[in-house]
Amino acid sequence: MFCEKAIEIIRELHRMGDGQLPAFNEDGIRQVLEEMKALYEQNQSDVNEAKSEGKSELIPTIKFRHCCLLRNQRCVTAYLYDRLLRIRALRWEYGSVLPTNIRFHMCAEELEWFNQYKKSLATFMRSLGGEEGLDITQDMKPPKSLYIEVRCLKDHGEFEIDDGTIILLKKNSQHFLPRWKCEQLIRQGVLEHIMS
Amino acid sequence: MFITDIRKEFYDFVVNQRVALLVSSDIDALCACKILQALFHCDQVQYTLVPVTGWQDLGTAFLEHKEQFRYFVLINCGANVDLLETLQPEEDSIFFICDTHRPVDVVNVYNDTQVKLMIKQDDDLGVPSYDDIFRDEEEEGGDDSGNESDGGSEPSGKRRRYDEVCYAAAMVIFELAWVLTKDTKDMLWWAIIGLTDQWVHDKITHMKYVTDIATLQRHVSRHNHRNEDEDNSLSIDCMRISFEYDLRLALYQHWSLFESICNSSYTSCNFKLWSMHGQKKLQEFLADMGLPLKQVKQKFNSMDMSVKENLREVIEESSNKYGMKDIRIQTFGVHFGFKNRFLASDVVHAAAALLESTEKDESPGDNFIKALDCLSRSNLERLHGGIDLAKKKLMAIQQTVASCICTNLILSQGPFLYCYLLEGTPDVKLFSKPMALTLLCKYLLKAFVRSTRNKRCKLLPLIIAAPMDVEKRTVIVLGIPPESETSDKKNFFGRAFEKAAESTSSRTLHDHFDTSIIELKMEDRTKFLDALITLLS
Repeated sequence: MFCEKAIEIIRELHRMGDGQLPAFNEDGIRQVLEEMKALYEQNQSDVNEAKSEGKSELIPTIKFRHCCLLRNQRCVTAYLYDRLLRIRALRWEYGSVLPTNIRFHMCAEELEWFNQYKKSLATFMRSLGGEEGLDITQDMKPPKSLYIEVRCLKDHGEFEIDDGTIILLKKNSQHFLPRWKCEQLIRQGVLEHIMS
Repeated sequence: MFITDIRKEFYDFVVNQRVALLVSSDIDALCACKILQALFHCDQVQYTLVPVTGWQDLGTAFLEHKEQFRYFVLINCGANVDLLETLQPEEDSIFFICDTHRPVDVVNVYNDTQVKLMIKQDDDLGVPSYDDIFRDEEEEGGDDSGNESDGGSEPSGKRRRYDEVCYAAAMVIFELAWVLTKDTKDMLWWAIIGLTDQWVHDKITHMKYVTDIATLQRHVSRHNHRNEDEDNSLSIDCMRISFEYDLRLALYQHWSLFESICNSSYTSCNFKLWSMHGQKKLQEFLADMGLPLKQVKQKFNSMDMSVKENLREVIEESSNKYGMKDIRIQTFGVHFGFKNRFLASDVVHAAAALLESTEKDESPGDNFIKALDCLSRSNLERLHGGIDLAKKKLMAIQQTVASCICTNLILSQGPFLYCYLLEGTPDVKLFSKPMALTLLCKYLLKAFVRSTRNKRCKLLPLIIAAPMDVEKRTVIVLGIPPESETSDKKNFFGRAFEKAAESTSSRTLHDHFDTSIIELKMEDRTKFLDALITLLS
């Protein structure tokens, strides 16, 4: 049946919830585009035939194929757009350097789009807050305090904070550090935020 | 040197610096740590907290952090040994020590620059003057730094041991919070738990305990009076601390009354519950109070209200008849929400059980974190888990005591009593930990004193040994002073153990901050004991 491949790629994307980005389904997209090409060509020839030979019984088939084409188009654009939204969220989640395993999941065009997005965001951030700009990707939730208490979940070795001092992150040690330095490590699972 | 103004000489110093907190593994230290952390959060003092279990740990932690920190705060460790000699720090490292271990090493007292002791002093106990102590050494060619004398010998006239009254670390830090007017009910509760820890583990005299309770009671009243004038009373979820004159039955509100009576050392020793006769007496006792067995064996919260109503008074009255004059003890309880009521001793038992948990795959660091967590009100699950572990621990102690008494495992060696727990003893793993072993030892001595007819033996101290690490073939040995009404809790075994180990070249490890607890190789046990006997005779 037509449009089944398109639905399949959407289902695959939908299955990976929580903003995760699965690998770009090149194969699936290619198949859908081939199907669209085939349908379009068939329609082309049928339209010509209908026009020249006046075969009006071909019109429902043409209409049907047209609907399939529109459906495929809609599915593919939905797929691509949803992936873009997820990639955009990655910038806010991970910062400007993405982990390599995620980058493998993106196709060349998506990488290009990501770079452009990064540039736009950076330009925007530079334009805020006077000369230095403002990093709005920090502190997504309004922070309650400048410093937070964190617990070290695994040995991470030495860690430098803004004023040059070095903290030794050893398993089971607890530290009271500036919030902004810890956010990265909390995301990576090295530190755990303790709320008492 | 001793700090006299804890705010100026400690807090104001560290408030703009980064501090390394090295905390020993006992409940009082954990409580002091929580209070200090809360103060640091208030003033945004950056710190790093490292748990330490002994001198080796302390040394390692210091080495790892000495490059990054100038100020070190040591809680319940560091005072009783020459700290600078042990750690060999640079000139600019400064140590603030809040330690309940006594006696304080005299060298620590006389260091004016690097060692600052946060220890409250009583006015009447003068510090021996510098010349008195150090001049004596030169004249007599003494070998030690004049801080302790052995066994039971009297200190020489001028050279006095420096053991002043011992306030819980948590209370000292709470006082700091109070002076800064930053004290909260949570901090007060932790101070109470710190004091109760000293009492549960028998580190202070009854007099001192009662005096300190009175001090804390003043703080409790002050906090409670803040809200009394208002028409609207506090929400039920707010934390309320109340003074309680409650029963000396461990965990009784979280257990059944019967189990608690059977597993609390006070009642168990008084009834002699390891004997059939004792069991019968207990039944009589319950009957005398008119408490049906069925009620008494249920979970406390499920007991009928009519039974619970005057329970404390009823039990007190009957206990007097059975020779237990002090079944009730002054303490505090906390209450937040409808379900959550805890006595200070409940929390101490729970935290101690978590701190020394012998579950597999748990390092001492993990246990420290769990115990620290259970002290926060938001971690009730952890606290309840601790209470369950504590019940198992108390039952194990009770059973071990019963079996030791019944099989006459406690032998008199002359100057002291001795007990060795064999490897196959049930739950012996629990007793490879210092606090659990201490509780067992004290309980055992009390029980022994009650059950023996030998008058001389009743005045002897007790040394207990238990397998510590089966693979490394080591045992843990600890000694406690004799059981007496007027005991001042001073423990001389530290020195005795050191000397015995030296004279027999036994392979020992004196790693614990409490010098009366050591590790010993199994093979050296006999000669070590023999040396001790000779030493203390």
